[in-house]
Amino acid sequence: MSNNKKYWKSIEDLQDNPEFIKKQMNEFAEPIPFEALTNADAKGDDTSGTNRRDFLKYMGFSVTAASLAACETPVRNVIPYVNKPEEVTPGVASYYASSYYDGNEFASILVKTREGRPIKFEYNEKGSVKGISSRVQASVLSLYDSARLRFATKNNSEIAWDKADAEVTAKLAKSTNIRIVTNTIISPSTKAVVAEFTAKYPSTKHVANDAISYNAIVKANEFCFGKAVIPAYKFDQAQLVISVGADFLGTWLDVPNYSGAYAKNRKPTKENPNMSKLVSFEAIMSLTGANADYRFQTKPSQYGAVLVTLYNEIAKLQGTPALTASVSEYAKEIAALAKELVAAKGKSLVICGANDVNLQKIVNGINVNLGNVGATVDVDNHSNLFQGDDAAFEALIAEMASGKVDAIIINGANPAYTNKAFAAALPKVGLRISTADRADETASLCEYIMPDSNFLESWNDFNPAVGVYALQQPTIQALGKTRQFQDTLLKLAGATKNYYSTIQSTWETTFGANGEGSVTAFWNKALHDGLVLLTPPSGVTTSSCGANCGAGLSEAATKIAGYKGGAWELVMYQKNMGTGTLANNPWLQELPDPISKVCWDNYITMSPVQMKEMGLTTLLEQESKMSVIEISVNGVAMKVPVFPSPGQKANTIGLALGYGRTLAGKVGNNVGVNGYPAVKFENGNYSYLNINTIVGTKEIDKAIVATTQTHQTLMGRHIIHEASLAEFKKDPKAGNEREFLVLKDGKTVEHKTAQEMDLWATPSIPGHERPNHFWNMSLDLNSCTGCGDCVTACNVENNIAVVGKDEIRRGREMHWLRIDRYYSSDSSQETGKAGMIGNYLDMEIASANPSVVFQPVMCQHCNHAPCENVCPVLATTHSSEGLNQMTYNRCVGTRYCANNCPYKVRRFNWFRYTENEKFDYTMLGEVERMVLNPDVTVRTRGVIEKCSMCVQRIQEGKLKAKKESRRPVDGEIKTACQQACSTGAIIFGDNNDTTSAVTKAKADDRMYHLLEELNVQPSVFYQTKIRNNEGTKFFAEAHHEAGHEAHAEGHATEAHATTEHHN
Amino acid sequence: MSHYESPLRKPLILQDKTLHDITEDICRPIEQKPTKLWYAAFTVAAVCLAWWIACVSYTLGTGLGTWGTNKTIGWAWDITNFVWWVGIGHAGTLISAVLLLFRQKWRLSINRSAEAMTIFAVICAASFIVSHMGRPWVAYWPLPLPNQFGSLWVNFNSALVWDVFAISTYFSVSLVFWYTGLIPDFAVLRDRAIAKNLAPWRKSFYSTVSFGWMGTAKNWQRFEEVSLVLAGLSTPLVLSVHTIVSMDFATSIIPGWHTTIFPPYFVAGAIFSGFAMVQTLLIITRKILNLEAYITIYHIDMMNRVIMITGSIVGCAYITEFFIAWYSGVEYESYCFVNRATGAYWWAYWSMMTCNVFSPQIFWSKKARTSVALTFVVSIFVNIGMWFERYVIIVSSLHRDFLPSSWSMHHPTFTEVGIFIGSLGLFFVLFLLFAKFFPVIAMSELKTIVKSSSTQAKKHQKEHGELASSH
Repeated sequence: MSNNKKYWKSIEDLQDNPEFIKKQMNEFAEPIPFEALTNADAKGDDTSGTNRRDFLKYMGFSVTAASLAACETPVRNVIPYVNKPEEVTPGVASYYASSYYDGNEFASILVKTREGRPIKFEYNEKGSVKGISSRVQASVLSLYDSARLRFATKNNSEIAWDKADAEVTAKLAKSTNIRIVTNTIISPSTKAVVAEFTAKYPSTKHVANDAISYNAIVKANEFCFGKAVIPAYKFDQAQLVISVGADFLGTWLDVPNYSGAYAKNRKPTKENPNMSKLVSFEAIMSLTGANADYRFQTKPSQYGAVLVTLYNEIAKLQGTPALTASVSEYAKEIAALAKELVAAKGKSLVICGANDVNLQKIVNGINVNLGNVGATVDVDNHSNLFQGDDAAFEALIAEMASGKVDAIIINGANPAYTNKAFAAALPKVGLRISTADRADETASLCEYIMPDSNFLESWNDFNPAVGVYALQQPTIQALGKTRQFQDTLLKLAGATKNYYSTIQSTWETTFGANGEGSVTAFWNKALHDGLVLLTPPSGVTTSSCGANCGAGLSEAATKIAGYKGGAWELVMYQKNMGTGTLANNPWLQELPDPISKVCWDNYITMSPVQMKEMGLTTLLEQESKMSVIEISVNGVAMKVPVFPSPGQKANTIGLALGYGRTLAGKVGNNVGVNGYPAVKFENGNYSYLNINTIVGTKEIDKAIVATTQTHQTLMGRHIIHEASLAEFKKDPKAGNEREFLVLKDGKTVEHKTAQEMDLWATPSIPGHERPNHFWNMSLDLNSCTGCGDCVTACNVENNIAVVGKDEIRRGREMHWLRIDRYYSSDSSQETGKAGMIGNYLDMEIASANPSVVFQPVMCQHCNHAPCENVCPVLATTHSSEGLNQMTYNRCVGTRYCANNCPYKVRRFNWFRYTENEKFDYTMLGEVERMVLNPDVTVRTRGVIEKCSMCVQRIQEGKLKAKKESRRPVDGEIKTACQQACSTGAIIFGDNNDTTSAVTKAKADDRMYHLLEELNVQPSVFYQTKIRNNEGTKFFAEAHHEAGHEAHAEGHATEAHATTEHHN
Repeated sequence: MSHYESPLRKPLILQDKTLHDITEDICRPIEQKPTKLWYAAFTVAAVCLAWWIACVSYTLGTGLGTWGTNKTIGWAWDITNFVWWVGIGHAGTLISAVLLLFRQKWRLSINRSAEAMTIFAVICAASFIVSHMGRPWVAYWPLPLPNQFGSLWVNFNSALVWDVFAISTYFSVSLVFWYTGLIPDFAVLRDRAIAKNLAPWRKSFYSTVSFGWMGTAKNWQRFEEVSLVLAGLSTPLVLSVHTIVSMDFATSIIPGWHTTIFPPYFVAGAIFSGFAMVQTLLIITRKILNLEAYITIYHIDMMNRVIMITGSIVGCAYITEFFIAWYSGVEYESYCFVNRATGAYWWAYWSMMTCNVFSPQIFWSKKARTSVALTFVVSIFVNIGMWFERYVIIVSSLHRDFLPSSWSMHHPTFTEVGIFIGSLGLFFVLFLLFAKFFPVIAMSELKTIVKSSSTQAKKHQKEHGELASSH
């Protein structure tokens, strides 16, 4: 078709108007009169253009507009999943069974993840431990630790994994003496990997090194029973436990296992008013000593004497040969103890905390003679923890120092921090590879750092004890370019498979289908459960000592007789921090020490009496600095602040290990003093007791030591209700007796309770209505060991701000739950002779060997809450379920409620912890704050916060029940503190449910309310503390001449008064 | 204007001032340039105010962590200062309202300054209420305002809410009362500014603030009526404000706070401290502004009597508290008071006792009462003592309450001290501005008590033996 058609846009176009064509070239036919538009001058002078004033006006407008636009709140996009993973429901937590093992502690855990982020650990119901330790709980933050390496490094600069692998493999191939240093490996698959690596490089030797060694127990067991293991101690079967410097409720060996088992025998009821007895011989005040029914202050050099004396006393009773005697100052008490031990044959347990094979042999001898081995000491179903061989490690250091070792791979352990000799020898090794997750003290001395992934990013399996197998599964993709140690070893060994398949094949070989139909089915079940318990565990066969035992014990006793202490003796112990691996963890740093209540520091513990004699500061006060003195151990001088510790044996000091890290990260660096240089290799083991310490008696400096509790005694107040077991047996209400009024005519009447005198409550209207639930909590002072695991659980669950040492010192910790620790005092208003004022001053001084009580205190959820009626804006109110609620966004921050709280549990946000640079702990960093619990509001500056009884958990439980059209079952909803408590001291539940555990606890004779007389009617209540330290003969003997046993019974009360009682 | 002359009483105004003298004496400092002394004082006060602004800004910007308060001691210098300032304010109201109702004419020389002091003291007090809040930007929430938050109301059970009502009522009534009194005096200044053709701002300023006062009989009648009504309104406030402030403590359960004696004890203490502050201020003012003829030894004597009596009432209250602490048998309360006198804060307690109870006893002697220097010293003592009283009540009660585990100490920080000293700066800046631009003595009212005509007549009679002819 011909193209004759003509299309035109306008008449001018059609006409081909030349002017139009010319204009057509321009975008706009006519120039737009910008000038006229922009000219403010209305005279119509088109040529004048924009003048200066106009320019300024437009610029002003534009800048203002631009800045106003910029002032808008930055938009943070929440991007929904395009393809939502099946198992992730936003707002709903997923739990994965996994395991925690850091070389010191094994725990079977459930990892709580929200939107793919692991945020909290809970204990695995399948395991034997019904609680979770502070260290394990706090370790979730290690995942989000910004000090972690994000990539492999070579001489501190990034190197690609391929390149690093190639380089290292090439160097390893040339090496003739390769060493792998790890902490104790309890993973069968890791052992297989190490074996595979060794197959590839036959010169490889594996050396296990535990930061804190228990090797003497292993060696003694090898000697006595032919089994180089840590036995399983069965505290639940022991009616009498003697601990010689072993803090089994604090940090000794496998504490969560022990404390739970121990607590089972510490719950006397009206029906079964029996409980076990704990006797402690120790120098420092440990948690075990603080919980002991009897505590004998003993110098470390005397531990051996105590054990030998005990052995001989038992031998005397049993008619067996005695050992070379060592004289203990507590000979009479020990003689009495021996009688009780023999009476409780097979139901007692003697343990010792010294890493000294001579002492451990005597312990074995005692336990064998008492029939405990095979009963409470199970060598057959032993633990697999702590297999580090001290002598082997010393040999390694010697080898390294001589330059014989030409390649070393270090994993888990940080020996350059814990062992100075190792640090000195390490540079002599040609190829140094660390797989630490950060450039720590050891890794920074290494050429290559091939960073290990966090355990939450890795696969693993564990065999922590005979018959116990556990799996660890990743719950998040690796956050950085890290690779787990086992995969690194496999890669270097040239293996093509990865560690995951290694584990699967190990399990297939070990278990097969294990009765689950197929290997896959079993694997899936094991992975789901996280734990496989083999039933039945291999039987108990070992109960007696080997043939050479007798001679060995004699030799040990002879050696012990030679132990002579110097002027001062030092005990190295662990605090919440453990061995120092988790030093960069702000939660642990800020968790108050159970005894001293000090955060963010280690220090020398010393008897306050002796401190006063030496002229050192004993005043605990926020602006009062502590004296710093110099001590010298093994020729190593250390300057450490001294902190008063009532109950400390005279001329002994304590120093916590795990501090003084220099390359832990921003939180843990240079906190406290490194005590490891004081550890000495002697008698074939690393000794954590130094019986010849030089202590400078002069204060050389002053330093701030931050503590959360500056007052130590009860001041005669009826805050702790306690009784002896004998009193309890007579009257289960012992300690809870009502007060009596003596009338004019001499008659006595029972004092009315505060509730009976209530002006408002009438029989018809007893109180507020609780139509649905009435949440209550019981805290058993008898089960509570004071460990503080509940405090950490609360901190993790409730996004509680970490505030740092300086703020702690000012009394501004944010903990919703605290554990008050009180020492008994020798004085009272009734017995004191210094006049009222003088008596009060005396009552502030703790006894020389005080009895100690722990009392967890959180918001008591008063039903007549003094905080609620003083808030001007109704920011704190009461729920119909009995909860005292805090409405953060209504709070104006007058702090009136905190002042009026008799329990002082309300915490004020002094700063904006989430944005203030000073508080770079868990809430400031973009990575760190990923650990926050999305179910709990992060509080802003200027508002009050406090325990909510984990209302988010209550709500979750109620909703779950509602969806299933039922009532919540008792025990279904657990608060975080309750979840963490391995001794079951915390019971939470609905008081409207007549069958609930908490209702029963409330009706118990031991129940009492704290500060009952104020009639604030708390929903939280306590159970009296019962001490098993009366009615025994041996204690009476301790205070009276021998041969007066007939009178002992009569003196019991007097003896009782000296150990116990503040009230 | 009454010319009634009491045959018994001495004149309240000395030096035979005529009505015109009064106007001149009181207007002179306002119309002249300020003295060097005024400038010096103002500079010092302004520097303190700047410090206050800096410290308050730092607190508002960073948080209350900049103070020394902690988990146990939630209130310390903040509420101490608040109660101290509110207490100081009381004398003004007492002088203007209660003494008006009791027809105590001597009050007329001092009521204006005392009322000004009330207003400024309450401003200072209010500043502490706001700055002690965790979130001062929502400081209006304790007011029962209709709001968008749902059915959210204030907690009428809380003494703090009563406090908000009490202080705001007190402030508004005092302000109105004070201002009403100022109107005729402003009119005088206006008329003088016009007549003398002073600076234009004076004319317009005083014209505006004098609300067109004409000095007619109707004006005066209404003035008198309003004054009487406001006096009637203010009188219960003298008692109520500090009663309610005391309830902040009395309605709590903290030992040392939970005391029914607090309302009368606090009111007496407030009047005590208020009069001491009036003394301090007026002794300076009469010197600087040459007002010795108006603020006489008689005034000082009268106020010293009030100080002595209220000081003794307060002393009785202190002793009563101790008795009840012992008599009640409540161990927490017993300990609280033993600790108060002998514990860590013994120095604060004994400073309080020395300043408040012992030092005013010197006024049993007339010689001491009429000594200006001694009065000044004692008034400063009382101011210090009353500050310590509040510090002792607040901090020593909180620092060792029920559970010994939470016992603590309070150490003020630089910021906290700065805000207190700065609040003195705020107060004195306001007071100096007042002294410069406002008539410090209620001249119109004062003229009702001059005896100049009769005195002159008497003098004339004495000299000439006859009554003066009117000329």
